[in-house]
Amino acid sequence: MTTKSLSRKVLVLTGLAVIMVAVAVAAQQSPPGLSPLDRTNTATSKQDTALAPHPTPPTVTPRERIPVDKIKLPTGFRAEVYSSGHPGARTMTISPRGTIFMGTRQLGRVYAVTNRDGKRDVKVLLQGLTQPNGVAFKDGALYVFAINKVTRYDDIENKLDSPGSGVDLTDKFNLPSEIHHNWKYVEFGPDGKLYVQVGANCNICEVNPGTHGQIRRYNADGSGMEIVARGVRNTVGFDWHPVSKELWFTDNGRDWAGDAGPEDELNVLGSGQEGAFFGFPYCHANGIPDPDIKKPNACAGVNMPASLIGPHSAGLGIKFYTGNMFPQNYRNVAFIARHGSWNRTQKFGFDVVIARTDGGKARIEPFMTGLVDEKTNTFLARPSYVLPLGDGSLLVSDEMNGAIYRISYGGK
Amino acid sequence: MDKMRDGNSVKNTETQRHRGAQARWRAAVGSVSLCLCVFNAVITAQTKPVAERIQQCTVCHGSDGNSRVKNTPSLAGQPEFFLLNQLVLMREGVRPIEPMKPYVKDLQDSDIEAIAQYFAALEPKPSEEIPDPALMQRGAELAASLRCASCHLPDFAGRQQIPRLARQRMDYLIYSMKQFRDNTRSGADTLMSNVVAGLSDADLTALAHYSASIRSEK
Repeated sequence: MTTKSLSRKVLVLTGLAVIMVAVAVAAQQSPPGLSPLDRTNTATSKQDTALAPHPTPPTVTPRERIPVDKIKLPTGFRAEVYSSGHPGARTMTISPRGTIFMGTRQLGRVYAVTNRDGKRDVKVLLQGLTQPNGVAFKDGALYVFAINKVTRYDDIENKLDSPGSGVDLTDKFNLPSEIHHNWKYVEFGPDGKLYVQVGANCNICEVNPGTHGQIRRYNADGSGMEIVARGVRNTVGFDWHPVSKELWFTDNGRDWAGDAGPEDELNVLGSGQEGAFFGFPYCHANGIPDPDIKKPNACAGVNMPASLIGPHSAGLGIKFYTGNMFPQNYRNVAFIARHGSWNRTQKFGFDVVIARTDGGKARIEPFMTGLVDEKTNTFLARPSYVLPLGDGSLLVSDEMNGAIYRISYGGK
Repeated sequence: MDKMRDGNSVKNTETQRHRGAQARWRAAVGSVSLCLCVFNAVITAQTKPVAERIQQCTVCHGSDGNSRVKNTPSLAGQPEFFLLNQLVLMREGVRPIEPMKPYVKDLQDSDIEAIAQYFAALEPKPSEEIPDPALMQRGAELAASLRCASCHLPDFAGRQQIPRLARQRMDYLIYSMKQFRDNTRSGADTLMSNVVAGLSDADLTALAHYSASIRSEK
């Protein structure tokens, strides 16, 4: 190599490095006018000690204290404790072999629940992660999304006792570094792509629509990122309609704007609508302009929800039902777990509802209730995610009691 | 204050146990010194190793649970659930703190419950740090706009998973808030990362001066 060509290469490399640094700096700075700060107007929504978040017990709830007897269901259905002793149980994904992998938030664990002699065997598969709420399974591998850490564990079902450190995909997915509202929900779609939530990193603020408040999809290795939905405050549950294959997702509405809402949303992304805008932070629910971040025609061009799902109800997990156990009129309905309100004087939710979809609209009906007492304003459980099993029964995770309930139908 | 708690209460074992423990400790205080009495109650109720573990805690966190060591938090009067939760998170490696690792790695849930109960019942006392009146004033304004009292309660005594700030060490409060702001600690929830986002070191210092020295409304 001649000196001349060497110096040219050095020059090119130096130029590349300068460009890379410039891009990195640009990526760190918010575009002008956008602020990461909460923009709630504190003059209109004052401090209120009745509106604080609820604790999640980090230790085991004894079996006899799990409130399964309080659960109310439509005639013919019954609930039982499927498994327990796994504090913080939230997201569930199941392998073809029937292993359930379960993510948590605060406790930082991922559990594996297997069947042995008709009983459940619970293992702490991973621990010490930062809110590993995102779990997905494909081709023998478990994908775990913690805040700012993505790991794939290959051939995981043969390594349940020592999963190892896995393949680090964090840099491939290159997700934003902010923590708030960035515990993940992830799921493989019918197109084989991995869909990933990126929440707004605030209660209410202007976000860079190219960075936060989205649903994205990636190839399984983290390449080929596309933004499929924008203006989504924080969805932590989605599924695809069994017939139309359209993406349906829950979205948690903003806080500190009163008990009435704006209500949480059930949304649908119609086919060919990739990249559509769902309103955050300017327009909420079925067309309510934000009281703090004002913009003319705030709701113009915004995809309106298929249905509202209640003020502060915190709809998390959603799954469509295609099983054969439940009556025929449950076929293709969506079950939605509502985690229950914190930023609301009268507690609301703490249940599982069904959504009967019709085109781009949906009707909400109660399903699993009995866990909130309106008179004493207290609750007994926090349903978080739902998972239909192969036998047609439905699992519901309860983060507060570290339990999974199994809902079955036995006829009239 | 009890009314406020009831308005937002969670009917779980932790909450009930917390209230039961509070009532027991209050009844036990009488005219005897709080520290002595509580310590005796714990060593009779628990096995010896737990008392030894508590002794280990007090080396850094203060013989009465009030720390005199820079950047090391006081534990006295923290909500029982908060102490329990944080010790579990440290044991699990979710909140890794190098000097704490040898002490938390073998803790059983029952040990953690006993330690949390012990320190929650001790009386919180102000540290030797001197709060600055101007900073306190600035901190009070910031705290109102950030709605600190909604979670930490008007007297900043904390509740459940939310820590006491009143009479905490100011240097520790600043250290802690920087961790939330700089995305190096997610906390029991991620809400604190949002609350302190974008605040300057001077803002955090003002918040610490106000929070640590707030007068109890009791």
